[in-house]
Formats: sequence, C-alpha cells, structure tokens
Amino acid sequence: MHNIALIAKREYLEQVKSRAFKATTIGLPAVFAVLVLVGYLTTLGLGSQKHLVVAAGDGKLANSIRGRLMADDDGKTVVDVVAPAKAEDRARLVEQVRTKDLDGLLWVETQTSGLPKATYYSPSSGDFITGARLREALNSGLIEEHLTGAGMKQPDADAVMKGTRVETFEVKKDGRVVKSNAFASFWKGYVMAILLSMTTLIYGMNVARSIIQEKTSRIFEVMLAIAKPEDMLAGKLIGVAAVGLTQILIWLLAGVAIFVSPFAAALLTGNLAVQFSWTEGILFPVYFLLGYLLYSSLFAGLAATCETEQELQMYMPLAAAPTWLSFAMILLIMNDSNSIWSVAASLFPPTAPIVMFLRMASQIPPLWQIGLSIGLMILSIWATLWFSSRLFRVGILMYGKRATLGEILRWARYS
Amino acid sequence: MTVVELEAVTKAYESKVAVKELSLKVEAGQMFGLLGPNGAGKTSTIRMMMGITIPDSGRIRLFDEPFERKALERVGYLPEERGLYKKMKVVDQLVFFGRLHGLEADEARKRAKAWAERMEIADALDKKTEELSKGMQQKIQFIASLLHDPGLIVMDEPFSGLDPVNAVLVEKTLLELKAGGKAIIFSTHRMDQVEKLCDSICLVDNGRAVLAGRMREIKAAYERNRVVVEFEGSAEFLKSEEIAEAKNFSGHAEIRLKEHGNAQKLLQEASAAATIYRFELVEPSLEEIFIQTVGGKGNA
Repeated sequence: MHNIALIAKREYLEQVKSRAFKATTIGLPAVFAVLVLVGYLTTLGLGSQKHLVVAAGDGKLANSIRGRLMADDDGKTVVDVVAPAKAEDRARLVEQVRTKDLDGLLWVETQTSGLPKATYYSPSSGDFITGARLREALNSGLIEEHLTGAGMKQPDADAVMKGTRVETFEVKKDGRVVKSNAFASFWKGYVMAILLSMTTLIYGMNVARSIIQEKTSRIFEVMLAIAKPEDMLAGKLIGVAAVGLTQILIWLLAGVAIFVSPFAAALLTGNLAVQFSWTEGILFPVYFLLGYLLYSSLFAGLAATCETEQELQMYMPLAAAPTWLSFAMILLIMNDSNSIWSVAASLFPPTAPIVMFLRMASQIPPLWQIGLSIGLMILSIWATLWFSSRLFRVGILMYGKRATLGEILRWARYS
Repeated sequence: MTVVELEAVTKAYESKVAVKELSLKVEAGQMFGLLGPNGAGKTSTIRMMMGITIPDSGRIRLFDEPFERKALERVGYLPEERGLYKKMKVVDQLVFFGRLHGLEADEARKRAKAWAERMEIADALDKKTEELSKGMQQKIQFIASLLHDPGLIVMDEPFSGLDPVNAVLVEKTLLELKAGGKAIIFSTHRMDQVEKLCDSICLVDNGRAVLAGRMREIKAAYERNRVVVEFEGSAEFLKSEEIAEAKNFSGHAEIRLKEHGNAQKLLQEASAAATIYRFELVEPSLEEIFIQTVGGKGNA
C-alpha cells in the first residue's frame, strides 16, 4: 500500500502541475462562463432594433397583426402600420427595404373571396425568425377577425386567441410533486452525459499516454526493481483518478459559482429552470470513477503493448464505440427511459455511465437498476484489470514493436 | 556473508533459453563483474536477481535468505536502460525513489543533498531532469540507486554516457562503497574497467557461465604467451618462428607467441637484431580472455 500511495501521489502531483491540467481546468469553466454571459447579454436586449411595416387594405387586420407582434416581442421591434395601403405605397416601401431603411415589410392584400394574400419583403433571405413571427401574427389576426366577424365579442375572441398553457409536474417517488420541464431536463442530461464521457475518456487516455511515455523513457525498469507491476498500475490509476476528481470538483465549484450568479439566474428562469437532485450529485462522481476505471484499466494494458501513441490510436474505437452508441440512443432514452433497450444499455458496463445519466434526466431509475449497473461495472472492471495487469506486466518490458493480437493473448495467459 | 546467490537458475522465453542453469555467488565487500557478449543473458540474469522476472527453475537467495521482495529495499539497481521522470525536479525524484526504498522524506532529502555534493551536482537538485545533460542524468540515476544505502548494488553499464572525469568519480565511489562492505555486481563491455575494479567475474555466453571465478585465478590459468618489446634497430626478429602474431608500432611491438613458443629464444633473437629497452612476458588481458572464450562474438 505504501508504494501504491507514493506512486499515486507522484502521478497526481505531476499531472495537476502540468500545463494541460491548468488549461482544461480553467479553460472549460471559462468557456461556460462566456456562454452564460453571452446568453445574459442577449436577454438584456443588446441586439439591434428592427423596424417593420405591416401594410394592408384592411386597417383592423393590420393593427391586429401589429398588436400581436408588439405583445410577443421583447421591445426591440418597432412596427408601423400603413392602412389602407395603396399600390404606390408598395413600390415605395419595397424601395425602403432595399435601401435598408426598413428591416421588413408585410404586404397583405385582401382578396375578393377567401383568405388574403400576404407577401413578406426583407433585405435578407435568412431572416426566417421574423418571417415565422409574422406568419403566426397574421394567422392569429385572421382567426380573430373571423371569430369577431362570426359574432364573438372582442374580449372573448382575445381570450380564445391567447390560448392556454400546459404546466408539467413530476411526481417523485416520495410523493413530492415538483415543477418539471422536459426541455431543460433533456439538456441537463445531455450536458452531464457529455461531461461524463469527456472526463472518462480524457483521463482514461491520460493513463495510457503516461504508460507509453514511461515505457519510452525506460523508467519502468527502475520502478520494477522497487515496486510490483500491480502496485505501479494501481498507483497510476488512483493518481490519475484523483486528478480527474480534482478537476470535476473545481468545475463543480465553478459551476455553482456561475449558476448562482445574477447572470445565470436571469438566464435559467422559466423554461430553462434546471433541478439537480442529490442522487445525481452523488452518482456523477461514482459513475465517473467506474467509467474511468473501466476504460483506463483497459487502455493501461493495451498501452503497455504499444511503442508510440500513434500505435495506441488503433484501439481508440474500443472506447469511442460505446460512447457513440450511448449518444445514438438519446432520443429512444428520452422518449421512454424505462424501455427494455434503455434499461439494457444502462446495465451494459461500457455504455452504463452515459445511458444511466441520460435516463436520470427524465426519471431517476429504480434503485435496483442503479445498484445492478454499478455491480456489473465493478465486475467488468475487475475482469479488465485482471486482463490488463497481465499485459502490463509483460508489455512494459518489451521494446521494439507493437505486440500482435496473438502475443497479447499469450501474455494474458501467463500466470 | 553471501549477499546474492544463484543456484542453477534457468529462464526461457518463447523463442529462446535466455539463462541456463546459471550459478554464481557474490560476497559482501566484493566487486563482481558479470560479462558476456550482447544477448548472452546478462540482463535476464540481473532482472531475475531484481525480482523483475521470475526464474523458471533454480533458486535465488538474497542476503543469505530465499528471495523475497522485501529484500529489494536493500538493493540498489542501475539498469542498462536509464529512466528518470523528465518533468520532475531532481531532488523530488531522488526523494521519491528514496521513499520507495523505505526512507522517510526528510531523511531522503538530507541524503540526496549529501550525495549530490559528493557527486558534484548540487546545483542540479532544483532543476527538472529534462534540463540536464545525459552525463548529469546518469549521475542522478547513480545516486538514486545508492540513496537508501543498499547492501547489494547492481549496475548495468554504470560508466556509459560519462566523460573520463566523471567516470573516475564513479569508479572512486564504487571502490569506496566496496571498502565499506557493499557487494557490487556490474555488467559492462568495458573490460579495462572490469580488470581494474573486479575481484571476481562470471563470463556468460548463450545463457551459460563459460568462465567464472576470482580474477587473479582466471588470469593465472591462462598461459603467459604475450610479449611486449620496446626496441631500437631492425625489426627482423618479429619474423621469428616463435611468434604467432606481432604488431609493430615503431619501436613498440606486441607479440603473441606460438603455442609452446620459447620466449627466451625470442629474446636472444631480438637482442641480436636490435637494442632492447624492454622485454616483458605479460599475462593475457581480460579482453583477450573474453574474445578467446566466446570466440570473438562480443563487442568488447
């Protein structure tokens, strides 16, 4: 144990002092902070103002459209009405759009029968957001006109057109009923799964890279005369795991600092309200550790059979494929987190960490499933370590060329 | 005390037998040379002594006890393939290795400073290893193997990468350690150093010990058939029938006599042809013994 602790401490200190650690530790929260800040600034309305004109023969319809555009807007759009509009107005207003004095023109022509014909002129073909808003305002205005035309009173027509909202609540296992938001839950699960896969793979590869570097620098020969290969492998895995947990802790603290800030509070209200549970808080580092140990122990063994990092790249799909598979299942999981496929993928060790977090985003899975997935992961880590420690023990003393598959299997059989 | 003992040790890899029934014994206060051409099995033998690999058969004893990993705390090892953590500061590196050998951190630090002064690299202690020259790194590695005051020191090519001044410093240090009762095994191709430093040798070829024993006894067992002559005048005597091979370096000749060649007769012939300043019948060098024994396969 003494040697394992010393090797782990050395590995930890070397990695946390490295430039790469500082760059990713500070860089990632900084990128998130910038994203939150940019989001906040856009909510402050620092974007440019838009000037639109609604021109129609029917003044009532034009004003109704204007009212809707002003009501659903954040105060950044100025809407003027030209009504009743004549043919010569059209040429003049289109010219104003061309010279960019106007940002958009909605020309509504009343037809003798049927619905009016609407045309939208804009200096940019990509302004689809404004186009969609205009379409919605126009259709709502037309429906309202038809309702009032059919005898409905204006306040009633307004009430009908305003519609109603469906509020969603999640009933927890303990009986609590909490406000939920599928959109926010999806993004929460997605972001956590990305963070989990990123850290697991980054640190798994860190172990592999460090083994290749030490094999190249021939330090293993010195170390093996003092420490057992199993101790060296364990020390390395523990040291790098501690580096990963340190980074996650720093990110967590930075995340908390960012999310309790007034900037994020402004951004994360309403539709983006995100709820984190204690279960997720505890299971995130647990699944990180399990995922990391699974991948790093596999890559530690494979790295010992390689001479260069380029040779190791050949094994990358072994780590990448389960990650791709997990993310490919995202819609299936979000749709029905308890389907047989979702449950199976969350129990299958290579995909378990990511899929479990995607499932948790919509609903905390039954405790037995979480327990079983952790149990299966521990078993597979044990089996991978058994295999890898054998490759490691022989591979680190073999120089000159990458081991073939036959050699790898032979090494695994050595007692 | 017998510090290390190998009894009929055998180690085979997939395609070849690296070491076959090798036996050797090294006592405390002894400098022991493990010699052999490339691929003879020296490194395999050392790796088994260090517990890096396990023998297929035979016995290894360290400090008069059957091999146990715990005993490795009393062994200092400088492998042929040098390895240091490049990004680590030298002092941290030495403390790390000292602690792995069971020293407390403070004690390891104190010893690292003392050794750095002794090896004339005190200025390098606070530098990163990658900033040092190859020779400096070699000295750091040398210190790392001695920091914990081992009873057995195993060194594979300890002089490689050292300039003559530092080679003398390492040589002097090894002799001091030997005088202090340490058992030292070193493996090298530098026969001159083995001849100068070692009390005993074991010459390995194809995994087997082909020559072993005390240096003096080994050399005494070989016939004195080499003659060094310093002369002035005609070199005609170098064509004598007593001579198997002769190299003439302008008045300095190195001669190998034929089997049963008569040195006295040669001296007479030389005296008749030239003025002789020196005529010395010398014992064979270790290099000659090495080449003769392994049939000129070595790189020595």
